[in-house]
Amino acid sequence: MRPYKTKLICWIFLLVIVLLTLFSAYITPYESNTMNMDAVYEAPSQSHWFGTDHLGRDVLTRLLAGGKVTLIVAALSTILSLFLGLIYGGISGYFGGRIDSLLMRLLEVFLTIPSLLIILVFQAFMQGSVWSILLIIGLTSWYTTARIVRTEFLKLSQLEFVQVAKMIGTPVWKILVSHLLRNSMEAVFVVTLFNFAGAIFIEVSLSFLGIGVSPAVPSWGNMLFHAQSDFITGAWWVGIFPGLLIMFTVLSINIIGSSTFRTKRG
Amino acid sequence: MTGKWIVKRMMMGMIVLIIVSFFSFWMLDRAPGNLAAAYYGGNAQTLNASEIERINETFGLDRSIKERYGAWLYELANGNMGYSLKEGRPVLEVLGEKVPNTLVLVLTSLMLIIALSLPLGLIAGLNKDSLISKLVSYAGVLMSSIPAFWLGLVLIWIFSLQLGLLPSSGIKRIGGTGYGDRFVHLVMPVTVLVISHVGLYARFLQESIIAESEKYYVLVALANGVGRKIIKRGMLKNALSPYISYFATTIPSFFGGTVIIESLFSYGGLGQLLVNAVSSKDFPLLMGGVMTMGIFVVVTLFIADCILYAVNPRLRREGAR
Repeated sequence: MRPYKTKLICWIFLLVIVLLTLFSAYITPYESNTMNMDAVYEAPSQSHWFGTDHLGRDVLTRLLAGGKVTLIVAALSTILSLFLGLIYGGISGYFGGRIDSLLMRLLEVFLTIPSLLIILVFQAFMQGSVWSILLIIGLTSWYTTARIVRTEFLKLSQLEFVQVAKMIGTPVWKILVSHLLRNSMEAVFVVTLFNFAGAIFIEVSLSFLGIGVSPAVPSWGNMLFHAQSDFITGAWWVGIFPGLLIMFTVLSINIIGSSTFRTKRG
Repeated sequence: MTGKWIVKRMMMGMIVLIIVSFFSFWMLDRAPGNLAAAYYGGNAQTLNASEIERINETFGLDRSIKERYGAWLYELANGNMGYSLKEGRPVLEVLGEKVPNTLVLVLTSLMLIIALSLPLGLIAGLNKDSLISKLVSYAGVLMSSIPAFWLGLVLIWIFSLQLGLLPSSGIKRIGGTGYGDRFVHLVMPVTVLVISHVGLYARFLQESIIAESEKYYVLVALANGVGRKIIKRGMLKNALSPYISYFATTIPSFFGGTVIIESLFSYGGLGQLLVNAVSSKDFPLLMGGVMTMGIFVVVTLFIADCILYAVNPRLRREGAR
């Protein structure tokens, strides 16, 4: 298949997922949190396409509702990390010199710290809130963005048109936004996409460990929290479907990211 | 000058560890609720004010954070990491039981990842349009899109529950001894770690070899009749250093990944200890675990840096400055 066709399919898939999850409440006939003890662990059937879980909740409904939480957490934390990365990398790349080397040294230190450790410590006392997890993912995933913005800005600052713009007294913010930022958009876009995929992974993994989004809120990770015992009961559908959905979502993001990266490199 | 470079790197590692420890200490200090409550868990409500005060005094909680952090650092330097709140045993003793398990898991997986990704990446990179090259490209993206813990869940479902071939959790059978038993328990966690990483690394090596083969010097050397074997050797050497540094940058997240895998397989190592310490609010143990993992990361990065330094002469020259 031609690369652009694959990419298009991925975009369409993502769009469908986003729309379905955002409007999940209007689509499915079930409530995501309503328990039905008469219909515990029902296998996939006409009335429950993806079956029901240990509390008789419809898996498909929870998948869509959970996708909303997971995707919103991932998207907002990615936006936060994008801003932090732009500011940090922008300062470093625009000013260069000693500020740059100081900031980059500091960044190296940050990069060495496993972000999961920070998140673990943070979650030790902030347990449960969607906002706290969003915040901590954003705060720990801006490093690559900062690095890329910095390299792009440094490279662009050397170019003639930026030098000239500086010379004729173009305001700094204008140079930053319309010359430097606009020309590094593509690289920033790719790294942001990968960050988004990473953020989904972090949310899912944390909630799976039981230290992410609180169990009362459905999310893709939360749905898998119970999956281990569901598998033992034989209810494979509770564990398989969320995983597949996460996989395909992240896969399409990764394909879009890496094909954009490749066309850019030529 | 190599000595100077090593000292510089080590200083860097120390700084990282101090920042990590201070951050964790500070964050745990900000935690709502007091230590007395954490210590007594569910019975905390029965404590009266004077008792809380007495506990605070015993643990030095009435002192400022600066004093306490200083004391903690001082004790750490003397080889004392404090006592676990839940178990009452020295943190160091608890860590001593768990850390070797993690080391076995991490070292086995890392070695397998390197042993698989190096040849795969090499072959895929050198034969650009071959089947294996395409396979590495596609499989690399696919593998990095599977959540590792979910892969583990599915493997447990298939191999433990359906086929009954492999144990689903633990390090060894109860009362079990012998290496065979331990090996069987290692298979699935290692498989998951390897599968979720190997594609990524192989793909990175493949791409950097392809990028290298498109460079001008390769063309010039070819035109001047330099033997293909010699060119290949030079190219590989150049492509290897981005691979190593990529490896180094992903080491921290690799260790993060082991935390998740360990808790999934109830593999009694450092990662599981960390997660348990978080959920039981066992702060001294958490601090100890965080520091140990920090030390692991710093040491692994140091080794990667040393290899990089040996492979890449440009770095050596820079280090001389």
